[in-house]
Order: sequence, then structure tokens, then C-alpha cells
Amino acid sequence: MRTRVIGLGNTILTDDGVGICAARELRRRLTEAGCAALADIVETEVAGFALIELMAGWDRVVLIDSVQFEGVEPGTVLRIRPDDLHTSMRLRSIHEIDLPTGLELGRRLGFEMPREILIFCIQAQDANTLGESLTPNVKAGMTEAAAQVLRELQTSP
Amino acid sequence: MYYSAHFVHSHIAHFYALAAPDFVVGPEADPAKRNILGIVEKVGVPVASEVLRHRAIAQDIQITIGGRSTHPVWTLPGGVSKGISEDQRKEIIEKAKSCVEFAKFSLKLFDDVVLANKAYLDLVLSDTYEMDTYWIGTVDGNNHVNFYHGEHRVVDQAGKEVFRYKDHQYLEYLAEHVEKFTYLKFPYLKKIGWKGFVDGAGSGVYQATPLARLNASDGMSTPLAQAEYERFFSTLGGKPVKKLLATHWARLIELLFAAERLLELAQDDEVASPRFRTLPTAIPEEGVGIVEAPRGILTHHYKTDRNGLVTEANMIVGTTNNHAPISMAIKRAAEKLIRPGKEIGQGLLNMIEMAFRLYDPCFSCATHSLPGQMPLIVEVKNAAGEIIHRESR
Repeated sequence: MRTRVIGLGNTILTDDGVGICAARELRRRLTEAGCAALADIVETEVAGFALIELMAGWDRVVLIDSVQFEGVEPGTVLRIRPDDLHTSMRLRSIHEIDLPTGLELGRRLGFEMPREILIFCIQAQDANTLGESLTPNVKAGMTEAAAQVLRELQTSP
Repeated sequence: MYYSAHFVHSHIAHFYALAAPDFVVGPEADPAKRNILGIVEKVGVPVASEVLRHRAIAQDIQITIGGRSTHPVWTLPGGVSKGISEDQRKEIIEKAKSCVEFAKFSLKLFDDVVLANKAYLDLVLSDTYEMDTYWIGTVDGNNHVNFYHGEHRVVDQAGKEVFRYKDHQYLEYLAEHVEKFTYLKFPYLKKIGWKGFVDGAGSGVYQATPLARLNASDGMSTPLAQAEYERFFSTLGGKPVKKLLATHWARLIELLFAAERLLELAQDDEVASPRFRTLPTAIPEEGVGIVEAPRGILTHHYKTDRNGLVTEANMIVGTTNNHAPISMAIKRAAEKLIRPGKEIGQGLLNMIEMAFRLYDPCFSCATHSLPGQMPLIVEVKNAAGEIIHRESR
């Protein structure tokens, strides 16, 4: 299955960049394991329309992003479905369109949208302060998310 | 070029994803259809594909020039970290030409769908969406709209210039009012004063939007946009235009201007020059930079220490300028629309929301809060202050 992993976020806003950090960690682990061909990995700070173009043409897309759910411990890794997106920082864009709408729009415009979309979210502790490092719990969540995505790719390549 | 491409991308996204559903699909249509998917249904796949293609073209130009489309990574003190090649310049020219044609098409669509539809035109011209404030915008030496270079001009309710300031003078002209119920401030014209959430000449409330930029200028510096500028004011009865829904039309005129400007700049071979940075020789202690963000005038003010590190910062971002007008516009729309016998439902909720949406509000930037949903609630109270009806998303 042709798989693309998309890490989302802004790496200068502390935990907001955790999706991108997880994508980088995944790339490192895939390369180390000698199976870099399992997935194409990209990093992006954009959302809305731009995600349609990034997802089009791939059989499976794995999205990794930060979230701020109420009552969830920072660093917790969650798997959600596209329709669950109400608190994702980027998959529900304020200026543009959210992910479910983007997927449907892509299909209606004739793009080959992925048959399967997996979303891994990491609960952020601080996604507002200017900073290039993750908070400790979220850093642990980042490595856990990378490990979970790696397992997913290895068990169903 | 980077900034013009940004305007092209941002204005396309706002018009087609957020504004057009209200007109193309209908202001009182089912919320499930009043979105870009409803637009696809109405205008067809080829048109929607062009929307997506040109939004992507504009972002590609930004990536070519600045490395990234959002959060560019090539700006440095004294210039930028890399230039563009001659091949890239030629590529940008072709893309810009396409953007000009798309902007012309978008204005034609607005003509056909909104201006040619009496019900929509009546809505645009109704007093439900109207406000009589001061207007602000950046202008060049000819008082033409400029997005990043010039002086900042304020015109009054009759369209007459009352103030004009340079970047470093902004604190003499703008001040920010604070209310306890929000941490987003309410900027106003300092020399007029804060008189509360009211419009008129005695109130310092001003608007900073595409409509404000057109009202505060004497024209556009590119030919096609200038022709549209003239048509805009002649159709709407002269300057200043106070009909707030005309902001969408003004936004499309700016889309055309941005595309034309992009093309004009790309056609100058100087932009591919290898001289793209002048190394600074001194450490500044203070600086103010003002540009026109797509949503309104954007002011950044910094003070730095001897190492060039920021010690003080003040920002008035696009949407913040419009905080008081947004609040007033929503209130006015609600007062005009909620009438005895009028059904209070999702259609009415949307028509109130249209007063908010026309500002293309960037509340995440203005407040650093991302609730992830539109928390608009309409509560109708009786004379005793008891809630008799509540409508929300």
C-alpha cells in the first residue's frame, strides 16, 4: 500500500510542533530499521485546502498532530477518525476547511483520495509559548506516537 | 511578490470557502450544504477545480520565494537569505498571469451570482449590515492602495482624510480600550477618543478591512483593479461605502490588484538579481513595521537590547483593529433580524454570523485561542431579561 505520513504543526510553538517531531523520529526509525520505503514522510505547517493536495494520490495517509482535549494528560497518544476532529489544532482550520470537508471536496473534484486515513494525536501541554523544545511529557508522547505508527506500518505495510 | 501571492491565496480561500456559500448556496440554506461542497454542487467541478488550482499556485509561488507558504524561513535583517533564479521568475510570470485571469473570473462570478440577484443585492444594500465609522488603510504617494509600503491614512464618515501617519507615529494615533469580559483589546483613534460601542463622527471606532482600504484610498495602482474600483464606487453610490457586505466585493478587487501586482513585479528582471541582502551595520534599538494583512492593518513594534534581543513588543493585528466594529456589526444584525414573528433558527443564526464572517476574522491570531468551533449563540430575552429562546450550533 502506498503510504504517506504527514507530520503537522509549528515547531516554534513548543508542543504545537509535536506532529512534525514525531514524523522526524519515525523517519529516523524507519531508516535505522532499513525500511524507509514503507512510507513517504512529509512535514507541513498548513491545513485546509493544502492538505487535499498532500493527501491526493496516496492509498493510505497517516496524520500526526497535536491536540488539546479537555481532561487528557499531556503526552497521551490518541487515535481518532477524521469525523472526530473538533479539537485538532490544524485538521480543523479556522480560516479554511476542516479535514472531513477537505476529503469530500477532493473526491468530488476527482482527486484520488486515500482509502484509509489514520490519525495519531498527541495531547499538548503548551502549544502557545514561543519555543523550539517539547515539554517532557509531550516529548515522551512523541516517541510513543512514532513507535505506534512504525508498528502500524510494519504490521500492515 | 511573496506578499502579493499571499494575498491571492488568502483572499481566494476566504471568498470561496467562507463567504461564497452565503451567496451561492444561500444565506438561509441548510448548514450542511452551506459550505464549499455546496459551492461545488452549484458552480460545478471545473470551476471548483480552478479555485483549488489557483489557491495552490499562489502557495507554490510563496514556497518558491520563501521556502514555505506559511511561516516563511528566508527573511533576515537587511533582506532575505536566498534569491530566485531567472527560470523561477519566468515560472512566476506564467502563474501570475493565470491568477489575474482567475481574479477576473471571480469578479464576474460575483456579478452574476450576487449583483444580478435582486434578493442578494438588497441584502448587500440593506441597513442590517451597515456601519458609519472611520476607515483606515495604507496608501502610496498617489493615495493608492498599497499592502506594505507607504503612509497610513484615516478617512471620516464623509470619506475626507482626517489623519495620516508614518509607521513610527502609530502611538500618536491609535490607542487600545480594555473591557473586563475579554482579553482582546479594542483599538480606537486616540485623537477622537473611545466613546463606547457606537459609530458616528464622535466615536473613535475605525474599520481596517478590504472595504476600509478602498474607502481610505483614492484608487488602485494597477489598471484592471482601478477599473473595478471605479465600478465599485459608482455602483454603490460613492465614497465611503458603508454597506458591510460589500467587503466581499472589495476583497475580490484586492485579489485582482494582488495578482496584477504580482505579475508586474515578476516582469521586472531585477527581482532575479543576486543582490537580495544588505548586511546591517548597526544594531537598532527600536523599530515599528506596518503592513496591510489581508484582514486589516498590521502593526508590530519592537524594542531590542544591545544584543539585538527583544525587550518589549507590541502588536495590533488585523482582526484586533476590527474588534469593536465586529461586536457592533453582530449586535446591529441581531437587532435588525430578530423581529416579532420571524422564525429564530439556523438561517437567522447564519445571517447574524455573516456580520462576523465578512471581517475574515483571525481570532486565533488576535487572541491566541483556538476553540475549534464557532461558539455563536443567539439568546432572545423578554422585557424582564428572561431567556425565551436560545439558538446555537
